[in-house]
Amino acid sequence: MAHRHWKKVGALVAVAALVLGACSDDSGDEDEAGTDTTAAEESSGETSGGEGGATLQEVIDRGVLNCGVNGQLLGFSNVEADGTYTGIDVDYCKAVAAAVLGDPEAVEYTDLTAETRFTSLQSGDIDVLIRNGTWTASRDGALGLQWTATTFYDGQGMLVNADAGFSSVEDMDGTIICVQTGTTTEINLQTYFSSRGLTYEPLNVADEAAVLENFSSGACDGYTTDKSGLASFAATYEGGEVTILDETMSKEPLGPAVREGDEEWFDIVQWVVFATFQAEEFELTSENIGAYDGDNEAILAFINQDFGAELGFPDDTWVVTVIESVGNYQEIYDRNIEPLGIPEGLNQLWTEGGLMYSPPFG
Amino acid sequence: MSTQESVSQESSTRSARPPLYRDIRVLRWAFQIAVVAAVVALVWWLYNNAVTNLQSRGLPTGFGFLDRTSRFAIPGLEGSADFTILRAFVAGYLNTLRVILIGIPLCTILGVVIGIMRLSDNLLVRAVATLYVEVFRNVPALLWIFVFYYVIVLQNLPDITDDATPLDIFVFSNRGIGIPWFNPDSSLLTLVGFVGVAIIAVIGVGIWRRKVNEATGKPERGGLYGLIAFVVVLAIGNFVAGNAFAFEGAHIDGRMIGGGMNVLPSYLALTLALSLYTASHVAEIVRGSIQAVHKGQTEASQAIALTTYQRYRYVILPQAFRIAIPPLASQYLNITKNSSLGVAITYVELVAIFQRVSNNATPALQAMIVVMFFYLTFSLSISLIANVVNRRLALETR
Repeated sequence: MAHRHWKKVGALVAVAALVLGACSDDSGDEDEAGTDTTAAEESSGETSGGEGGATLQEVIDRGVLNCGVNGQLLGFSNVEADGTYTGIDVDYCKAVAAAVLGDPEAVEYTDLTAETRFTSLQSGDIDVLIRNGTWTASRDGALGLQWTATTFYDGQGMLVNADAGFSSVEDMDGTIICVQTGTTTEINLQTYFSSRGLTYEPLNVADEAAVLENFSSGACDGYTTDKSGLASFAATYEGGEVTILDETMSKEPLGPAVREGDEEWFDIVQWVVFATFQAEEFELTSENIGAYDGDNEAILAFINQDFGAELGFPDDTWVVTVIESVGNYQEIYDRNIEPLGIPEGLNQLWTEGGLMYSPPFG
Repeated sequence: MSTQESVSQESSTRSARPPLYRDIRVLRWAFQIAVVAAVVALVWWLYNNAVTNLQSRGLPTGFGFLDRTSRFAIPGLEGSADFTILRAFVAGYLNTLRVILIGIPLCTILGVVIGIMRLSDNLLVRAVATLYVEVFRNVPALLWIFVFYYVIVLQNLPDITDDATPLDIFVFSNRGIGIPWFNPDSSLLTLVGFVGVAIIAVIGVGIWRRKVNEATGKPERGGLYGLIAFVVVLAIGNFVAGNAFAFEGAHIDGRMIGGGMNVLPSYLALTLALSLYTASHVAEIVRGSIQAVHKGQTEASQAIALTTYQRYRYVILPQAFRIAIPPLASQYLNITKNSSLGVAITYVELVAIFQRVSNNATPALQAMIVVMFFYLTFSLSISLIANVVNRRLALETR
C-alpha cells in the first residue's frame, strides 16, 4: 500500500505546482505557441488559430507520451507480472503514441487513483487521461477537462455473494454497500437506492485492493462499480462464488480525457479513437492494413490522408501506424475485454446495433 | 574632567544624530515593514498565481461550491445525501473530532503508565514497557492502522449473520459494535438539565467532603463521592421523568445494526491504533520528563517515607508534567493530523470528505483550503489549551 501513499503526496505536489508554477508556465506556453505557429505555417501554409498545440509539441520534444491509467483494473489497464501494462486503456495510450511519435511503446504510464486522476491531468503531469473515468457534464464543466470520445460504454452494476440470497438490487434494502470513494458510482448508488425507497449504508473504500479485503470479510453485502470493473473483480476473486446482478444502474461512458483549451491535442486524441472504429468498419486489421491494395476511394483516403498534418499529425499515414500497432477496435476489444466475459452490448459498431460510430474520414 | 567630557559627548550625540541608515530606531521599523511587505507580497503572489492558473485552465475560482448538495451518503447519518458540501465537511470534521476526543485521553493515560513502567525497578515490568515502546514507535502509524482494521477488527469480529448479541443489548460484528445508548426519542433538554443538576450535586458533595476532611481529618475522597452523587442524581432524575433518557440496547436490524449506538469498525481500529501508536511517543516524553526531575526529589520523598504512589502523585509527576506539556501538545497535534489516515480504512473523516468532494466536479484547490482551515481550528485549539495549561503550571520565578 506504500505506493498509494505516494500518489497522495503526488496529488499534493501537483496542486502545489498549480499554485507555484504560474510564471514559468506562462512564459513556456508563449514560447511553445510561438514555435508551433511556425511549424503549422510551414506544413500547411495556414496560421493555426490562437493558442494550443502546446501539448503536442511537448510530447514530440519529450519523445514520450505521459499517459494516466488505473493500473489495477484487469482488461482496462493492468500491470502484469513482468511490469508491462495491458488493457484497452493502455492500448489507446499506445495508439496515441503511435500516431504522434510513431512508436507505440513510447509511453510513460502513471498509475492514478480515483482521487488523483483529474488533478494529475489538470496540473500537466500527464498528457492524456485514459483511466475509466466517466464523462459527465459537471466534470467537463468544473474540472477543466474535455472528454474526446467514448471507447467503452459501461453501466454500473452490483456484485454480491452468490449465496447471499439477493436476486436483484430491489432485494438489497437495509444493506451495506462497498463503493469506491469519490466516484460517480457513489452518487449513482445514492440516486438509485433513494429513488426506489431502499435504505443502505455506504462503506467507502479507497481502491480495488481495499474492496477485496472488506468484501471478503463480510464488512459489506455488495460491491458496486461499473460492470466491466465488476467482471474484472469477479474474474480474480477467490473468496467464493459471486454474481453480478442484472440491473444496470447508470450510464457510464468511458474514454480518454485531455486538458481544456488545447484544440489540436484534443483533435489528435479524438481522431485516433475514431480511426480504430473506422478501421473496424472498413474491416482493416493490424494484419491487412499495410497490404491493402484495393481501390475503394474511401479506404484509400482513410489510409493515406491529405489532411493528417492539418489535424496536427506528423504525417499522413498515421492511421496505418496506429492500426498496425494496436489493431482496430474489435481487435482491441477481443484482446482485452473479451476474456472477462462481458457481453458486448453497446460496444459494437453502429452497423451491428452498437454505439461505436466514427464521423467519416474524408 | 570626566563629567565635562561625557556631557559634551551627550550634547554632540543629541545635536548630530546618526544618518538614517545607521539609526537603530529607523532600522528596526524599516526591517519590520520589509518583513510585512515580503509576507504580503508572497501571499499575493501565490494567490495571484493560483487564480491566474485556475482561470487559464478554465477552472472555477470561488467558494460557491460549498452551497451545492453533496449527493453522497455518509455512513451513520440519515439523509446525509441532501447535505450541502459545507455540511458534509462539518460531518467529516465531527468524525475527526470523535477520534481526537477519545484518542488524546487514551494515549495520555496509556503513555503515562508505560512511561512510569519504563523506570520501574522490576526487570519484567521495565522490559514489557520497553518492548511496547520500541514496537509501536518504530512502525509507521499507517501500518498499525491497517493491522488493526484488516487483521484485528475485520477478521476477528463475527459476521453480522452470526449470532453475536450478548445480553441482547450489545452487538459484536464486523459491521460495527452496537452498544446501548440514549434513546433517540429522549429529550436533549431534559438530559442537559439533569446533567446540570448532577454536576451541581458533585460540586456540593466535593465541598462537603473537604469540610469533613478539614474538621475530622478523614480522607477527602472527593472523586469517589462525586461519582456516586452524579450517578444517583441521574438515576433519580431518569426515574422521576419517566425513563426520559433511557438507554436503548443495540440489536441486529436486517444486515445492519439498529438501536443504541454503532461504533464503526473503522473508527474502532483507527482510534485504537492511533492511541496505542501515540502512547509510545507519550511514554518516552513522560519517561524523559520524570528523569529530568532532580534525583534529590525522589530521595527526599523516600526519606519522608512516601509510598511509590505518593511519591509519583505528589512529588514527581507534578514537576514532570511541567516539563512534559510542550512536547505532549505536539503529540496531540500529531494524533490529530494522523487521524487523516482513516481514509485508508473507510473511515469518513475530513480528508475522506475532501476526496469525495474534489472528485465530483468540485475545485480541488478550494476544497483543500477548506480542509486546511478545519485542521487549523484543531491545531490552534490544542496549542491554545497547551499554552494556558503551561502558563498555569510554569514555575513562578521571582
